[in-house]
Amino acid sequence: MKAARIKEKIIFTIFGLATALCVAAFATIAAILLSGLGTIKLEHLTKSALQGGYFEMIIGTLYLLVGSAGIAGPIGLLAAIYLVEYAPRGRLTRVIDQAINNLAGVPSIVIGLFGYTFFCRQLGLGISLAAGWLTLTLMMLPIVIRGSEEAIKMVPKSFQEAALALGAPKWKAITSITLPAAAPGIITSILLGIARVAGETAAILFTSCVLVTRGLPKSPLEPIMALAFNLYVKIVALGEAPERVFGIALILFMIVVIFAAAAITFRVYYRRRQLWLR
Amino acid sequence: MSDMDTLNCHISTQPHKFGIKMLKKLKETTIFLKSLRAEPLGAPAFICASSAIILLLLMLIFIVREGSQAFLNLGAELIIGAVWDTNAGRYGGLPLIYGSIIVVFVALAIAIPIGVASSIFISEILPHPLRDPIKSIIELLASIPSVIYGFIGLLFIAPRIASLFGLSTGTVALTASIILAIMSTPTIVGVAGETIAAVPKEYREAALALGATRWQMIKGIVLPASKSGILASILLGFGRAIGETVAVLMVAGNTAIIPSPPWNILSPVYTLTAAIAMQMGEAAVGSLEYSALFGLGLILFIIAFIVNTLADVVVTREKAKIRGAG
Repeated sequence: MKAARIKEKIIFTIFGLATALCVAAFATIAAILLSGLGTIKLEHLTKSALQGGYFEMIIGTLYLLVGSAGIAGPIGLLAAIYLVEYAPRGRLTRVIDQAINNLAGVPSIVIGLFGYTFFCRQLGLGISLAAGWLTLTLMMLPIVIRGSEEAIKMVPKSFQEAALALGAPKWKAITSITLPAAAPGIITSILLGIARVAGETAAILFTSCVLVTRGLPKSPLEPIMALAFNLYVKIVALGEAPERVFGIALILFMIVVIFAAAAITFRVYYRRRQLWLR
Repeated sequence: MSDMDTLNCHISTQPHKFGIKMLKKLKETTIFLKSLRAEPLGAPAFICASSAIILLLLMLIFIVREGSQAFLNLGAELIIGAVWDTNAGRYGGLPLIYGSIIVVFVALAIAIPIGVASSIFISEILPHPLRDPIKSIIELLASIPSVIYGFIGLLFIAPRIASLFGLSTGTVALTASIILAIMSTPTIVGVAGETIAAVPKEYREAALALGATRWQMIKGIVLPASKSGILASILLGFGRAIGETVAVLMVAGNTAIIPSPPWNILSPVYTLTAAIAMQMGEAAVGSLEYSALFGLGLILFIIAFIVNTLADVVVTREKAKIRGAG
């Protein structure tokens, strides 16, 4: 019995070390990047790339994120509503379900290849912001669908039943009762989707980015600059030393972590506030 | 005579049964369509949900279309050809497939033990108030973009690998594997943790009531009950790792040669994903190289499809089992 307890202690310690390693990995990465804080000056954020700043890259990245969230958000939400509220049990629903899982698993570089042949060439969008939106939508969609599905499922059935009993049609019950109750979860899923694609490089590599533009794009059909793309090309194609692109890496890291942390805190906070989830 | 009757019966009932089945299907479909029509939200919601199928099919069609020239001209060489040399016009995918596989296997050899151990620790041993914060940090680890992982790899890991093993350059398979291990661990922790947490409380209580220590309970009850979920988490971690592009190509060295000996992880490798990302920019549209890159894309697409479908099957079966038991 005593031997069993000692064995348990040893094993649990090893497991604890494994967990500590994961946490340490994040801490190390954050520490390395934050050590570069001194290399960027605040004025670089608003200075054009032509003068050594980051302005167009930051705005370009935000353009990409807002646009693809604007497409993937509504489509993903409607898809989630269908899957939770309307989908009959059957083969079609199973196939849709598997298609969503598979879409989530397609490597981003393959999504980039598809985006190039389909959006850029077949649809004639060329290397453009719009093509980037559509390509990133493909990556964001499964995350938004799964997250929203989860959020809608968590709203107690009795809420909707009360509305139905009062004579509301189902769609009315969903839009005025279920969705407001699920809103925090839905917003979380969209934020997570944004965090997932904010630093995506492979998918926008051939679909929407160039190294330098003259100012911001004037229409969605123009190519843009993005942080991730610039970081990648400067290191891989132009062979710049990692130390010289510290600023871009740090800004990109902060944008991604802000979105992801916002999503996670939002979720934890609302789980505590929504009494029916306890 | 009686034989004849049975035969007649047989002939007449078969189509009849078939007809009933068809009618039933038709009726189900009309009811389904009607229910969608009755709800203004129904039809658009259905269209959005089915878009996942349509997008996946479009993806397959277009990648096959662009890759068709390579399949016709190269055939099996695209998969088993041992030389990948664009300048010589040789497009044998074997070194790339091998590069992808060795990098991912070493990565998983690191990530699986750490990931599974962490998921057990977080959902079984860690005190409750600490669970959410630790899980959140691991989730943040998953959200770091791959280009930043590549950056960290070049800046921090590659120099250390080089000096540790006395290499002239640190951009080798092992460096890529370490980066990939960090990237796929959160996937494993997340999915495995979910299934471990889903093991019914009664199972644990029964084991503890019989006098088992917590480790005995975990080993004898929790792990067997969640083994398909853990398997699924490993499959998904594999899928994430094999499809990873930018981080790998920044640190793997990108040399399209199978290392000698093949298990030498201290030599540079070139992966499927890296080849596509590096060469798409130069390949002229419609050239054999362009088509071959789409061929590689198709290989990746198929690998991802198989891995995800397997994970799906494993998880669905597990759910059915738990429902049956509960």
